[in-house]
Formats: sequence, structure tokens, C-alpha cells
Amino acid sequence: MSSRQRGRRSALPAPVLVLALIAVAFFALPFVGLLWRAPWGSMLDVLGQESVRTALWLSLRTSIAATFLAFVFGVPLAWLLARVPFPGSSAVRALCTLSMVLPPVVAGVALFFSFGRRGLFGQYLDRWFDVQLPFTTWGVVVAQTFVSMPFLVITVEAALRQVDRRYEDAARTLGGSRWYVFRRVTVPTIQPALVAGGVLAWARALGEFGATITFAGNFPGTTQTMPLATYLALETDPQEALVISIVLIAVSFGVLVGLRDRWLHGARAALA
Amino acid sequence: MSLEASIAVRRGDFDLDVVLDVDAGEVLAVLGPNGAGKSTLLGALSGLLAIDSGSIRIDGVVLDDPAADVFVPPEQRPIGVVFQDHLLFGHLSAQENVAFGLRARGVGKAEARTIAAAWLERMGLESFGSSRPTELSGGQSQRVALARALATDPALLLLDEPLAALDVRTRQEVRRSLRDHLATFSGMRLLVTHDPVDAYALADRVAILEDGRIAQTGTIAEVTAHPRSRYVAELVGTNLVRGVVADGVLVTDTGARIAVATDPGPVFAVIRPQAITLSLSPDPASSARNAWPGVVGDIDRLGDRARVGFDGELALVAEITTASLDALQLRPGDRVHASLKATDITTYPV
Repeated sequence: MSSRQRGRRSALPAPVLVLALIAVAFFALPFVGLLWRAPWGSMLDVLGQESVRTALWLSLRTSIAATFLAFVFGVPLAWLLARVPFPGSSAVRALCTLSMVLPPVVAGVALFFSFGRRGLFGQYLDRWFDVQLPFTTWGVVVAQTFVSMPFLVITVEAALRQVDRRYEDAARTLGGSRWYVFRRVTVPTIQPALVAGGVLAWARALGEFGATITFAGNFPGTTQTMPLATYLALETDPQEALVISIVLIAVSFGVLVGLRDRWLHGARAALA
Repeated sequence: MSLEASIAVRRGDFDLDVVLDVDAGEVLAVLGPNGAGKSTLLGALSGLLAIDSGSIRIDGVVLDDPAADVFVPPEQRPIGVVFQDHLLFGHLSAQENVAFGLRARGVGKAEARTIAAAWLERMGLESFGSSRPTELSGGQSQRVALARALATDPALLLLDEPLAALDVRTRQEVRRSLRDHLATFSGMRLLVTHDPVDAYALADRVAILEDGRIAQTGTIAEVTAHPRSRYVAELVGTNLVRGVVADGVLVTDTGARIAVATDPGPVFAVIRPQAITLSLSPDPASSARNAWPGVVGDIDRLGDRARVGFDGELALVAEITTASLDALQLRPGDRVHASLKATDITTYPV
């Protein structure tokens, strides 16, 4: 270590250091407590239980479906917000990202009164298409998509704004149609943001609780995802709650670490 | 083949209104300072910008004509563009960059790769096919950009400030190689630049752009010898001589001898008219290493300056103030002496 670096480190004011360390402890202690109480010996037994595996499988299916829907609708929405100036665009952006800051239970209530069987729009879905969303697996997917898509939209929108559009111009002069240029130039350029936004949306969908339980209910095998199962198990079988929590923590931590590497790698390539 | 363009574009406070023609096999340089409308012109020709009125045709085919409601999008125009910063796609290799236009136009992957490889070889870059753009030097990157633009066989090649992105040292070398490569392309070429030296080195004909209007067009010799306005005179009104340097003496194509302070070899030399001194009698005590007797040619008064033609061993244009012109009472046909310091001559290796 050079003397200059040492000098800079010792210049860190003590109060800042103390507060920062308290913050670190604040984030670390809950995990310490959880891991301390984990039933490491019976881990595999609990994971082998039918109810846990059902919840895990349902969570995976619904969160991946929600992420897929977030891509299908979210990327065009991000494009619209980033590239097409229209009056009221900031209001539309606020509306489309509201569910990020909304209490999830409120999102669930809103979905219930609009897409529920008696809801403003849900009644027609029921009557015309015989589609019922509440208390079904599709209801879970809708709730997860509703709260997770904004993470993808704002990430991708920011990336689209930063794209140097002259590269797209260059591609067009080379004979690329708009769609070809989007696929071959724009998408590779914003790839880090697509990955980051997709992972954020997926993690949010995986952890979704409030909107799901309010809109889709809590039926094992149909709508009872991992977070719901964890909450319920805390009442009946705390050991099970601990095991599911550890699985969710492991998944989230893995995603975060993986994302960091992918993101930094991609960002470096984009800057170079 | 020919390009006929009459372009009017209004963007906010700025408006561009020009008429341009480029003939088959010709290199036209559009020369003007930043903000004169060069980028707008390229945007209109390439189709990245729709014109407000006028028309753009290549070989009689209309590419843009608002009155007839015709607009051909950029991807369908037979036009290749070499951008100022080259704009190579960072996520693709050099070869994939060159193949991009072919792939976009539906050429199969294998065939596009073969054609791209051939282009890289032609540019002397056969060993850089798998290199990423960041691994290329400025000159190499430009040759890839040129190959990429030419690979789709455009009728018209546009070059946007082809040398501006390069540092001074690589510039001369790249200018020379660019000239050689441009010479092998038989289509029309139009380059925009703010640097008269690029125009001299690369173009047959020049159009001077000033505030969105063409101030003057003509061959380089015509425009440099007879600039029609003070603006054009300041931009390009200079003396241009080609020749070979040996032992500190530049022998021109016409046999004149000029003392220069440069390395030996073929060069073209730029002599600023302001650097030339005219006097009625030779001054043996002067430090100027060049002094020629001759006669006064045409005299053009441009404001408080006068451009005075000089015919001697070498034909030159000198620029002096109208005050000294009147003091010397120079008239066409008068005998004068022109002198010039060797250090006032800028040479560029050819």
C-alpha cells in the first residue's frame, strides 16, 4: 500500500466510520440470527417436504412467467418513454412506475377491484372470455408482473436514453431496417441494462407477498408461493420457515453477486 | 452516374439551402467551418434527415422530394457513409463490422464473411479481422469504417470529416492511404471537411459552404486562385504547389525552384498569400531565401485587402493591404519582385 493511500484512509472521520459500521451491522445481524437458528441437520428433510417443493416450484414458474411478461411489454414501454416525446410522458412514466413505491397490499386491492370477478374489467374477462384471475396461478403472475415490471422499465429506459444514437444511424445507412438495427445494434448496446432490469424484476417477482396474497389468495399448489409459505410456516412450523428463508436468501444473494459481475463486465465493455 | 441535389432544410434558427452536383467518378469536397451546415447536408443526403423542399436524385432516381411526397429511408439508399468518429460497432469484430451492411441486406452469413475478409485484405487489415474496434489504431479503424461503407457497393460514398478524429501525427499517413483507397473506388465521393488541406489532398472539386449557402464551387485551382469573397479567400485562397524536395530545394512540376525547410521527397506545398512580400526592387539584405522577379497579374480588391497575381518563374497570388497596393501604385503588367521565407512554406508529403 502506498503512503498516499494510507494517508487517505486515516483521513476518514471517525463518526462517519462508526455510523457506517452500525449500518453494516444492521444489515448483517438479521442474517446472523437467522442462520444461527437454522436447523442445518434437518435441512434436506424439510426441503424434501411436498409442501415446500410445491411452493418452490410454483414460485419459480410464476416469477419466470412474470419476468417474461415484463420483457414483452416493458421493453416497448421503455422505448416509448425514452424515444418518443409526447405530451404527458412524465405522467405516464409516473403511472407506470407507481407500483414500485406503492405498498404491495394496495396494489393487490387495486388489482382485486379492477380485475377481480366483480371488478370493473374483471367482470368482462369472466363473462366474455371465461377468464378468472383472482385465486388462480395466473392471478399470481399478474400481481407479480404488476409490481416487478417497473424495475425493468426504468432500467431499460435509462439505458436507451444513454445510447449514442449515431451508431443506430450508422447501422441504418448500412441498410439495416429499424427492427434489424434494434436487434443487432441497440439490444447489444443495452444488454447490461436488460440483464440488470430482468434480474431485478425477477427478484422482485420472486419475493412478492402483499399483492399476491391480496389478489390471488393463499392456496397451496395454486397461489401459495415461497414468501407466502414462509409466512404461514412461521405460525405452524418455524423450522420450515427458516429453511425456506435460507433458500430465498441464497437465491437473492447469488443473483446479486452474479448481477454485479455481469453488470460491471457489460458496463466496462460498453464504455470501452 | 450522377448526384443532383437541391436541398433546403430549416432547423430552428439555422437553414441550409444548397444545390450540389457530383458526377461519376468525381470527388467533391464540401469545405466549411463548424456550424456551416455540413452535418445537416450529410444527414439530408444519407436520409437520416428529411429535407423541407428541393429534391435529391441519384442517376435520376428520386430519393427525397417533399413536393412529390417521395422519401426513401436511409437503409434503401445506395449511399455509404464514413462517419467522423468511424462509429464502428463495439460489440462486433472488425470483420463483423464490415459484414454488417451485407447481412442487413440479406446476404448469407458465410458469403458476407468472405466478402468482408476480402475487403479487409484490400485495406491491408487481413490480420485484424477478429480484432475489436478498441484494439485498432485511428488509421486502422478508419479503414475498417471505409471498408464497411464500401462493402455494400454504394453509388455514392459520403465521408464526414474523415481525418478530424485523428491526431496530427497519424493524420498525414492516413490522408495518404485514404487518398489511395478512395482512388480505387469508382463511384461518386463527397467529403465534408473544415480543413482545406484535406480538400486539396482528396478532392477534384470543392464547394465552399458558408452559413448554409454555397459561397463558391469550382476546381481547387480555380477556387484557390480566384476566391470570390473575403470569406472564401481566408478559407482557401492560398497558393498550392506540387513538386519534389531535394537538398532543401523544392522543384515544382513546372520546373520552378523554391527554397524550403523540409525533408526530401514528393510533397505539396502551401504558400499563404499573406506570407509573400512584393517590392519594386530586389532587397539583397533580406533574410528571405526566395526572391523572384516577375510581373503583376490580376488585382482583386476584397475590402481592405488586395489579392495580387504574380507571374514569374512561379505563378503566385500575394495578399497585401490596399494601402500598400496604393503606395506601390501597382498595376497589371508592372515589374515587381516577390520574396518569401523558406519557413513560411508548409509542406505535406504526398
